[in-house]
Amino acid sequence: MKLTLKIWRQENAKTKGKLVTYKLSDLSSDMSFLEMLDVLNEQLAVKGEPAVEFDHDCREGICGQCSLVINGQAHGPESHYTTCQTHLRSFKDGDTLIIEPFRANSFPVIRDLKVDRSSMDKIIQAGGYISSFTGMAPEANAIPIHHDIAESAFDSAACIGCGACVATCKNSSAALFVSAKVAHLAKLPQGKIERSERVLWMVNAHDEEGFGSCTNTGACAMVCPQEVQLLDIARMNYEYNRAKCISK
Amino acid sequence: MAIKKGLFKTSVGRKNLMAVTGLFIIFFLIIHLVGNLILIIPNSFFPIEFWGGVANTHDMYNAYSHFLVHFWPVTLVAWVLYVAIITHIIDATLITINNWRSRGDKYIVTDNSTSTWYSRNMGILGTIIGVFLVIHMAQFWLQYKVLKVEHDLYELVIVTLKTWWFVLIYEIGIIALGFHLVHGIESAHRSLGIYPKKLMNVIKYVALCFSLVMAILYAIIPIIIYFK
Ligand code: SF4
Ligand code: FES
Repeated sequence: MKLTLKIWRQENAKTKGKLVTYKLSDLSSDMSFLEMLDVLNEQLAVKGEPAVEFDHDCREGICGQCSLVINGQAHGPESHYTTCQTHLRSFKDGDTLIIEPFRANSFPVIRDLKVDRSSMDKIIQAGGYISSFTGMAPEANAIPIHHDIAESAFDSAACIGCGACVATCKNSSAALFVSAKVAHLAKLPQGKIERSERVLWMVNAHDEEGFGSCTNTGACAMVCPQEVQLLDIARMNYEYNRAKCISK
Repeated sequence: MAIKKGLFKTSVGRKNLMAVTGLFIIFFLIIHLVGNLILIIPNSFFPIEFWGGVANTHDMYNAYSHFLVHFWPVTLVAWVLYVAIITHIIDATLITINNWRSRGDKYIVTDNSTSTWYSRNMGILGTIIGVFLVIHMAQFWLQYKVLKVEHDLYELVIVTLKTWWFVLIYEIGIIALGFHLVHGIESAHRSLGIYPKKLMNVIKYVALCFSLVMAILYAIIPIIIYFK
C-alpha cells in the first residue's frame, strides 16, 4: 500500500518545527506503524538525510515508550492501543497521515517526534512507592487480599506511563496517570502506610511539573492503551480530600 | 519541595471549589425556578381568595417576591449565593489561565471525537451565562431590589418578556445553562470524589435528566408569557 506521511520535524525544544512530507509505497498492511517508520528511516539513511526520531522500546504494548499523535489521535486511530501495536491495516491505501509529537508544556520536544516525559517520573518519585523491608521478597500470601480488590488494584496498576492521557487532554492534565497510581496503591494494604501523604505529594508534584487541572472531559480514558478508568480520577480526588481533612 | 498548604491552591483543590460553588448555585436555580413557575399559573387557578387577598397570578407573584426580599434568612442565603457566583467565576478564570499555560504548541489536527463539545467548552458556556446574568440582573434585580424604582415586579417581568429580542437573549442563556449543567453536575461529583462505582451511572443520568427538566421549564416560561 501507499501512504503520504506529513511528519513533524523539529531540531530541539528551542527551534521551530514544521511538517515535512514523505511518500512511501510498497508497504504491507501487516506492518506495524513503527516498522513503517523504520522503512522511512532506512530510505532517508540511503539518501544521507537525518532519520526521523521517535520513541520506542518493547514494541509489544507494555513499556509505554512509543508515543505519536496520528491524525489528531494519540497512539493512532484504534482506541486503547499503543502506537507500536497499531498496524497499517488501520489505514486505507493512499491515506495521508499527519504525525505529530505528544504536545504539552511539560513534555518538551527532544527532537522530531521524541518528547521528554521525565516530568511523569518526577510525579512517581514524589509518592508512587510503598515502604517495605529490603531483602528477600516476602511470602506472597502473607497479607490476604480479596480477589476483587486485587483485580481492581491491578486494573489501575496497568498504567504504562505512556502519557497519551496528557497528550490528549485539552488542559494537558496528567490526572489519569496520577490517579492510576494513587488508586492502585490506595486499594492495597501495602499502600495504606503512605496513603495520605502519597496523594498530597503526587498532586503537588503534578502541579509543580506544570500539568493542568482536570476538567473531566474524559478524553484521556478514551485513548488510554490500558483502559485506566475515569473512576480512578474520582478515587484520587476522594483520597486528596480525605488526606486534607485528616492529615495533621 | 513543600506541599502547598492552601486547600484550594492545587489543581485538585481548585476543582473542588468549582464543584462546591457550582452545586450551591444549582440549589438556588431550583428555588428560582419555583418562583418563575408562579408566572404561568392561570388566573382560573384562584377560585377563592388566598390569604392576604391574593386572588390572581399577579398578586401571588408579587406576594412571593415581596416575601423573598423581606425575609432575612433569604437575604442571608442570597449573600452566600453572590459569594458563590463570584468565587465560581474567579476560580474558573484561574483554572483556565493555568490550563492554557500547561498546554503546549497547538496540534495541527485534533480529533474531538473523544469528548463532548460542551465538556470542552465549559468556559465559553459559562461566559454566555455570565453575560446573560448581567443583563438579567440589570433588568430585574437592580430595578426591584437595589434601586427600588419598580414596585410591581410582575408587571415589569411581563412587559419585559413582551420584547422578542429579550426572550431570545433569555433562551440563549438557558440553552447555555442546560449544557453547562449536564457536564457540571457530573464533573462536580467526580471532582469532589463523591463518585462511587455503583452510583456512577445514576449520577450521569440524574445530571442529564435534571439539566433537561431545568432547561425546558426555564425556557418555556418566557415563551408562554410572550404569546399570552
Ligand atoms: S493512564 Fe493510560 S494513557 Fe495515561 S499514562 Fe497511564 S497508560 Fe498511558
Ligand atoms: S514500544 Fe513499548 S509500548 Fe509501544
